[in-house]
Amino acid sequence: MEYIVETRGLTKRYSGKEVVKDVDLKVPRSCVYGFMGPNGAGKSTTLKMLLGLIHISDGQVAIGGEKVNRKNRIAILKSTGSLIESPSYYGHLTGRENLEIVQTLKKVSGKEIDQVLKLVRMEEQQNKKVREYSLGMKQRLGLAEALLGNPSLLILDEPTNGLDPAGIQEIRELIRELPRRMGMTVLVSSHLLGEMDQMADYVGIINHGQLIFQDKLEALHEHSRDNLRLRVMNQTAALHILKREGISCALKEGDLELPRLADDETAQLIGRLCEGGAGVYRVEEKQKSLEEIFLSLTGRRGSL
Amino acid sequence: MLTICMKTEQKKLKHSHLWMVFAGIPLLPAVLGGGNYLNNLEMLKSGWYSLWTQHSLFYAGFFYGPLIAIYCSYIWRVEHLNYNWNSLMTMPTSEWDIFLAKLLMALRCTVALQLWVGVLFILSGKIVGLPGLPPGEILFWLLRGSLGGMVTAALQLVMSMMVRSFAAPVAVALLGSVAGFLLSGKGVGMFWPYALMTEGMNANKSTDVLSSPVGFGVAVCGFLVLFTVVGVGYLKYKDVHA
Repeated sequence: MEYIVETRGLTKRYSGKEVVKDVDLKVPRSCVYGFMGPNGAGKSTTLKMLLGLIHISDGQVAIGGEKVNRKNRIAILKSTGSLIESPSYYGHLTGRENLEIVQTLKKVSGKEIDQVLKLVRMEEQQNKKVREYSLGMKQRLGLAEALLGNPSLLILDEPTNGLDPAGIQEIRELIRELPRRMGMTVLVSSHLLGEMDQMADYVGIINHGQLIFQDKLEALHEHSRDNLRLRVMNQTAALHILKREGISCALKEGDLELPRLADDETAQLIGRLCEGGAGVYRVEEKQKSLEEIFLSLTGRRGSL
Repeated sequence: MLTICMKTEQKKLKHSHLWMVFAGIPLLPAVLGGGNYLNNLEMLKSGWYSLWTQHSLFYAGFFYGPLIAIYCSYIWRVEHLNYNWNSLMTMPTSEWDIFLAKLLMALRCTVALQLWVGVLFILSGKIVGLPGLPPGEILFWLLRGSLGGMVTAALQLVMSMMVRSFAAPVAVALLGSVAGFLLSGKGVGMFWPYALMTEGMNANKSTDVLSSPVGFGVAVCGFLVLFTVVGVGYLKYKDVHA
């Protein structure tokens, strides 16, 4: 498979400490690639290395099949749009003037300004000074700037930060459409798992600077195979029977959690538990949330 | 590409009201110089040359450098604010073009300032009652001073790029200019970048101190190249922290 972004052994060290280590990112063309991880996991650092904002300590980056170096840096940046950390803007200039600066530097036609303004629905506010914009509007302006020049690769770092729910939905839909409508590849980072569920075709998960998962979104969901949850009157008896039957089980929130069984096996097991006096009073199928999958991958609880 | 970069730099300066600073502040040395001239008429007997000694004493020593510094700090301030470093460094432009565009803007400012100071000098000469127009030699010194100003501009540009503070580099320029004035008096001005303004303008002197224009030219070019290389190198090899 051909990847628009491919890194090999990408590593960043700050005074000996590795904040990104050995990351092999593989982003296929014309898709939305969700780059996930808790805050401080190394998402921004990785994205900044792709763009050359931060120099890499080890490893290499290839964009569009070409290894990035000093010589092709400008050509690569020309076909790349980005929105990193927080939106960049010249507050004393109007939204349109900000776009004109990017348009001039990217050497694209002035007409594109109207197109991107329409795309992010900012036509009305284009002549207001950006310092008077809300964060959501700044974020959209930043997205409009990134879209100028119809880049083949769009790198967006937490683009829905600071947006209201309606704005978040709008930006997600826009990102969702870009690969299909304009053939772009969108590499988008987020610490919100639910968000990725709605946007991404592929996901990469980074934790403590290491890529711990990378595949299609569906593959991530395969990690979420349903479990069977039982609630019983007599746990000791139930555990005894399960052990005899050779079925693994774990205690979760006072429930017994078993791997999913076939329907007839389930029926049989419940029958035996009842006979053995376990007193089953609740049986349910429990689907893992993306959050739980993430936790099972990272083995870490707490804020994401 | 360089002209394109300059065009965008020009746009970034819109609505900045910087011109008011550059129009207003040079009035001070003109007034101080004219006042000093009138108070010491019994000692200052060389007409336009004497007025120049007074005007340039204040201007080169206290105002020219800091004014250039304000301009350079402003040029970088717009990038230091609001994460603009990220956008500046991900545009398809080379580091040379980024730095040189800003440098050329600053150089233009150093020349424009001198032209304005020239106008003010003639005006203050007329007000204190000097006959005719100043000798061409003084106007030549004035423009030669802008070469020294360019060295200051390059140095300030490097400093304001590295330091987020607006005021600190301006303060350095003020101290540097005063030190330059003193060092120039001791004859070692060629080795101190801020002294080249004083040397070029022949400040506080009524006869040309620059016996060796070659030495002055070498110092100006040397410092310009040095600061430019340092500035571009910083852009190339330093991680961006917006």
